[in-house]
Amino acid sequence: MIADAPNTFSTADLGARTYRFLADVLGQRQTLRERPLPGLAHALVFWGFVAFGLYTTVEYLKGLGIVDLTHTRWFAAYRILLTPFAIGVLVGIVGLALRRAVIRPVGLGQTVSIESLVIAGFIATLMITFLLAWRLDEASLAGQVNWWVHALVILAFLALIPASKHFHLVLSPVTVFLKSPELGNVPNLDFEKEQVGLEAVKDLGSKTVLDAFTCVECGRCQVNCPAWGAGKALNPKTLILQTQDALLARKPDTKLVDLYSDEVLWQCTTCGACENQCPVGIEHLPLIIGARRGLVSNGEAPDYLGGVYNHLERRGNIWGLGSDQRQKFVHASGLETFDPRVHDVLVWLGCAGAFEADFQRSLRALFDILRGRGVKFGVLAKERCTGDSAKRTGNEYLFQELAHQNIEDLRAAGPKTIVASCPHCVKTIGNDYRKFGYEVEIVHSAAFVEALTRGDQSVAGNPRERVTYHDPCYLGRYAGTFDEPRALLTRFGAEVTEPTRNRDNPYCCGAGGGLLFADKDEEPGSRISDVRFRQLQETGAGTIVTACPFCTIMLKGAQSSAAAVGGAGEIQFVDLMTFANGRLSKVG
Amino acid sequence: MILVVAEQRGGTLNRASWETIAAAQHIPGGVPIVVAVLGGSGGATTAAAQLAAAAVHEVVAVEHPSLEPYTADGFTAALQSLIGQLNPTSVLFPHTYQTRDFVPKLAARLDRALLTDVTGTKPSDDGALVFVRPMFQGKLTADVRPQGPAPHLVTFQIGSYRPDAAARGSSPAPVKTVAATLDGASVRQRPDQPYQEARQAVDLSQAERIVSVGRGIKGQEHLSVAQALADALKAELAASRPICDAGWLPMERQVGSSGQTVAPKLYVALGISGAIQHLVGMKGSNVIVAINKDPDAPIFEVADYGIVGDLFEVVPALVKALNE
Repeated sequence: MIADAPNTFSTADLGARTYRFLADVLGQRQTLRERPLPGLAHALVFWGFVAFGLYTTVEYLKGLGIVDLTHTRWFAAYRILLTPFAIGVLVGIVGLALRRAVIRPVGLGQTVSIESLVIAGFIATLMITFLLAWRLDEASLAGQVNWWVHALVILAFLALIPASKHFHLVLSPVTVFLKSPELGNVPNLDFEKEQVGLEAVKDLGSKTVLDAFTCVECGRCQVNCPAWGAGKALNPKTLILQTQDALLARKPDTKLVDLYSDEVLWQCTTCGACENQCPVGIEHLPLIIGARRGLVSNGEAPDYLGGVYNHLERRGNIWGLGSDQRQKFVHASGLETFDPRVHDVLVWLGCAGAFEADFQRSLRALFDILRGRGVKFGVLAKERCTGDSAKRTGNEYLFQELAHQNIEDLRAAGPKTIVASCPHCVKTIGNDYRKFGYEVEIVHSAAFVEALTRGDQSVAGNPRERVTYHDPCYLGRYAGTFDEPRALLTRFGAEVTEPTRNRDNPYCCGAGGGLLFADKDEEPGSRISDVRFRQLQETGAGTIVTACPFCTIMLKGAQSSAAAVGGAGEIQFVDLMTFANGRLSKVG
Repeated sequence: MILVVAEQRGGTLNRASWETIAAAQHIPGGVPIVVAVLGGSGGATTAAAQLAAAAVHEVVAVEHPSLEPYTADGFTAALQSLIGQLNPTSVLFPHTYQTRDFVPKLAARLDRALLTDVTGTKPSDDGALVFVRPMFQGKLTADVRPQGPAPHLVTFQIGSYRPDAAARGSSPAPVKTVAATLDGASVRQRPDQPYQEARQAVDLSQAERIVSVGRGIKGQEHLSVAQALADALKAELAASRPICDAGWLPMERQVGSSGQTVAPKLYVALGISGAIQHLVGMKGSNVIVAINKDPDAPIFEVADYGIVGDLFEVVPALVKALNE
């Protein structure tokens, strides 16, 4: 099946891949990080299996009468060394079986998998028989039975592997290695080759096929998915299992939209939680965005996106406002057109910066900070949307048009460093434009200002304001910028109360992937933004600090909806730059 | 001779047909105008009888069972033979979805120049006719002179001429009914029922005046304040998202990117801060009046008239003034 699929395997950036392989496979990092206890249980089993590899080989060599190494001295020492591993595996597997059969976490599905319990029984039997062998005389009947039970269970286990999710024992090391080092890496389409995205099962790339068979059904993607968490139909795990079923059913012409349903495909905010939390290297975003591309190429995007695409085509921004509005802001803020001989950095305003009042306030705070520190900066004479909304919703053609025009303008301006306050712009210019050969250093203002003010005296000791900080997905998860905003906040007098789901695994505000425009279509009670607003409210902080224009729009929307029914409490929004700037002047 | 192709469905004329007749009458030189209308049995004749009121040389009803409902193949074949018989200098169409569908095909079949979305005509120094059409989304206009032999095919943008600008004749123009030269078997399209967009219960996009309320209204019980202003202005009542979320007004009255997009002549925003998602839904309004307590509210960025104040004081005063 993999050989038949269009080849999407890549081994680019071997260093990052090797590091991930060592950390996630040998080190069990991903398995441990979200679920430390079950993760440790799994790690004990995994390390035990690795340790037992040679033992099993030696025993089979003896059993098959090829060569008997069991009486060598090193094997005796090896057996002794294996004993703690065996106990570890036994403890681990019993713990995992209890979790599955008794605790039954939601991510593992509604029913208890009998197959999983059988496998757990096999593994436990292997370990018990290994340990019993210490006590039994090998030549005795009991010893013989023990040896045979051990050997036969191994054979049964091996036979079960390819037909079950335990296939991941074989596949996941490969899948982890082949997973793109860049989160949410959805390669550009080549229109010269008439690529239009994924329409049917036969279009799925080889990595996606491998992914489908590697899935261990652990449900990390599911429980971390903000759409699923808000009660929507989308469940990333189901998506992968449906892919597996379709591939096994050998129905290459099944349309992906029939396989997954278009409702589900348009519920993804591209927050990246599923892909980022997956312990076996599955990439969900190329599948979801690929299928969206297939729909968009056939004119089957949801209605609300039609307006957005129209705005992007005609006005170069998602709002459909005239570029004179940006001009007004540029003029009123006293901004200069970027000139590399004069300016240190280029500030990328983004479409929210050019048109959205709250975000303009945030940018003015950034300008104040930069001016106060003597950073010389300029802006482009003209900007278009980076194309983020187009890219994430699968309108690749529109994205590439916008990208090429922006790259041309950026190349002509020639900045070495770009500062942007929109995490989506950072991702799109920093990662997606790079694939067109445009390399530039792009930094989110949180990181830039944090570095700029690092020498500032901390205002600790003053009464501290209790705030909570909402990590934008495209900043915390995609860019890994989660320490800097906190450092800034703490430096300038805030005491950060962490919400549930934070840092590199935040809960999405609901705006990404074009869903900023979709709330008309959302069922009441299933808005991601409402869920996130409540999580932030539960911190008890009086202030929510945000660092992305879209998060602010969504969460403020959730707040005003909650306020209309009296459920918003006294909580205010401050954007990170405004907060820092306000405190800076006080520090003075 | 100028041929105008009118458009009808089930005997009802498309209003743009009159606009195109007006366009033809505006062409200088007093060239005789013939109006043709295509359709099945009855429809074309009914429409032709209405068209006879226009000050034109003649009206021709072209009938054939294969011309109703419309198909690109049927219309192209029928018009190709009609144009061959009449031999006009120009053929004018309204720029409707229907002409957009078949006129390019007709032009290709005739191998004649086609000018689309024309907004006007003017004479040139050498007496040849020059057509005006917008370019770059209306930022520029171009004077275009069609090349090659006549007839030239021209479609006129809807609204370039007023339908009532079409001069009516003192007596009805002669009406001729002809059978189209058309082989029904050559029509490849099999049309379904025409698509009808589901109508909203409240179509705010057609409202001339809108009074819209936001969170500043504080409670459902205060909606009567806004309703009074709406009544005084003969306006529709609308709202921003939180109001509809709370169920104080039905969802179909929501304005903004997550509701309806509106462009009334007058938009009065009461206690609406003006989040961008609301702004994009109403920025096309002709005159925007904003009443809000917060002088920094973004709504004032787009407002033509702004009142910083408590809507519970301002609105009753406005209603009182309007009712006087």
